[in-house]
Amino acid sequence: MDPAAAISLGEIRGTLAEIAAKLGFSGPLTPELRLVEDLRLDSVGILTLAVEVEDRFRICLDAADEAAIRTIGDLERVLRAKLET
Amino acid sequence: MSDALREWLERAARRPDRGITFVDRRERETTVPWPDLVARASEVAGGLLALGVEPGDRVALAFPTGEGFLAAFLGALAAGAAPAPLPPPSRLGNVDEQQRRLAAMLAAAAPRLVLADAPLLPLLREPVASVRPALRLLALDELPRAVADPVDVDEETLGLVQFSSGTTGSPKPVALSRRALAVQARLLNALWPEAAAGDGAPHEQSEPSAVHERSEPPAVFGHRGFSWLPLHHDMGLVGCVLPALERPADLWLLPPEAFVAKPALWLRGIARARATVSAAPTFAFARALRRVRDEELDGVDLSSWRHALCGAEAVSPQTLDEFARRFARWGFRREALTPVYGLAEAGLAVTFGALDTPFTVGRFDRRALLAGRAVADPHGREIAGVGRPLPGFAVAARDDDGRDLPAGRVGGIWVRGPSLMEGYLGDAEATAEALRDGWLDTGDLGFVDAQGELYLVGRRKDLVIVRGRNHAPEEIEEAVASVAGVRQGGVAALGWLPERAAEEELLLLVERARGDVVDGVAVLAAACRDAVRARVGVEAGSVAVLPPGTLPRTSSGKLRRTEALRRWLAGELATAGVDPAGVAAAAADETSRAKGEGMDSAANGESIGHAANHEVFGGAANGDDAGAAGNGESIGSAANGVGRGAAASAEGLGSASSRARSPERG
Repeated sequence: MDPAAAISLGEIRGTLAEIAAKLGFSGPLTPELRLVEDLRLDSVGILTLAVEVEDRFRICLDAADEAAIRTIGDLERVLRAKLET
Repeated sequence: MSDALREWLERAARRPDRGITFVDRRERETTVPWPDLVARASEVAGGLLALGVEPGDRVALAFPTGEGFLAAFLGALAAGAAPAPLPPPSRLGNVDEQQRRLAAMLAAAAPRLVLADAPLLPLLREPVASVRPALRLLALDELPRAVADPVDVDEETLGLVQFSSGTTGSPKPVALSRRALAVQARLLNALWPEAAAGDGAPHEQSEPSAVHERSEPPAVFGHRGFSWLPLHHDMGLVGCVLPALERPADLWLLPPEAFVAKPALWLRGIARARATVSAAPTFAFARALRRVRDEELDGVDLSSWRHALCGAEAVSPQTLDEFARRFARWGFRREALTPVYGLAEAGLAVTFGALDTPFTVGRFDRRALLAGRAVADPHGREIAGVGRPLPGFAVAARDDDGRDLPAGRVGGIWVRGPSLMEGYLGDAEATAEALRDGWLDTGDLGFVDAQGELYLVGRRKDLVIVRGRNHAPEEIEEAVASVAGVRQGGVAALGWLPERAAEEELLLLVERARGDVVDGVAVLAAACRDAVRARVGVEAGSVAVLPPGTLPRTSSGKLRRTEALRRWLAGELATAGVDPAGVAAAAADETSRAKGEGMDSAANGESIGHAANHEVFGGAANGDDAGAAGNGESIGSAANGVGRGAAASAEGLGSASSRARSPERG
């Protein structure tokens, strides 16, 4: 994926859904779902999610200017911002 | 007396042929020679001294695995200060919980200042701001520019504040002197001395894999470590970094999150490094077994891995056995597997299994063990021996009155040795409880056999007593772990006295595996009961099925049973008592949002889970064998207990902030 290319929310959602499925989440992915409570990711799951997201989108989640990421919606916002710049 | 750490830093500065290689998750390698690391440490030390840091002052560190951590850690030591490494916070997930935990650690360590990786600064501002008196939070490049040679400090000066992984409740800051650190590093290196002849020579010995079947250790000239363990963890820091500094030796470091996401990186890294030593907890061996695919190991040769140390949690002989069999194809030698035992409070390592020999497994009569005696029984419980005390250490099993027990008698394990902690920082009471007359009460339960081999059978404080008989929770948990649909390592066996019950009962808190529960929660719970009944002979009072990852653990991943029980009784643990899981999650979510409880909504949603569980398990229990007459009674009281939990959570857990869902790494 070329980070410079425009990316739609649908594409982001689709990729996140693939990652979530890999982590054992079976339901439809919606923005309000919380990573810990709803996706039921433990610390290992969170680490795996972070690595998968960074690998698939080729971005770094540890940038200093961003707030906490608690939900799928938070994650999507961060990804859109990063992928558009 | 002058301390060794300064000397080691000066020595390392003269060894450009050795260094630390940082491996990232795309397997790119960056090697930083020791002189460069020491130079960066001197800059950090200069900055710290310019800020007025004095010997023994704590400097908290929050860094991921990388050069920054090494610069800060070695820099603090060079300045005579005591580094206090914290788990680096993450932006993802339960950020608030993480921040509470960091705040508690900072309060306990009472550092002079906090050094952090620049990208982590925003995540640290809040926890740092919560600490009084006010603390400075700095990135490395915000330190005053100055260079200082390592400071000469007394070796009794505080050298490291290591957050203990061996305690229940909130983490305790273990205070280790510089002498203790030096003693540990020397002891560990003495276990695998380098051959003088080829010192520094690269070890290119590539053996044909047919030779690996017998105990034929590969010729090794320079030992080289490979570690993905978190650097805020004692096994990663005191066990890997300090010995590498002492020698100085090559050390390869992989970030823990990289291992967790792709366990193959561990094995591939060992092969690329031609590493000779790599340590990990049982969980890592199990994860590698499950998650590494054969094709990921194309061209991998594990024959250099001479010492595969397994410690930091109970050693599972089954897991090690499977690991040895599976990876033999890639040159892994069974003799490399070495169970070890240690704890932060002892400065780390206490006992080591014999090197270069197959690990020891004893089989012991279950009843006799419960009665406190180790009696060999070929069909008994399998326990891996964790070896004998390192030089200068003594291990004793003692009874409750503190009297030494003879060989083969189970008791509390006490340890004496040259690297014990000074105490828990700022907690005289806890220190007095743990340290008595130069001995450390480990809280572990075990025995020493006639040959001096230590066997651990559980934790003293986590005993499960059913019908007046003592059970180590581990044994029960092992039984449940074999049930399909149960998450690896996700079982807590707890003894408790339900209200109005005549005796203690066994409570099983069982995390289901990821994905949907195929046959439903009730079937899973029944299978757990069956397994415990069949293997341990105990009827569980109640079984609760939980979502994966919800049991509380320490930063190194050990179960916190006492805390799990407390949370269960308080109604703070989510249950997956509704099938299918997806529906349960959605329902819980609706409820919680309706109540507008934000962070605590998960706990709130549980009342649904509890209620459902109550029914499910009532049914399951009724369907159980009609054998014991006493059964119905205990089930009744267990159900009461569950009901109470549900009531508690329904009453509003706004206040019951689920403390410390450990944001641990690895």
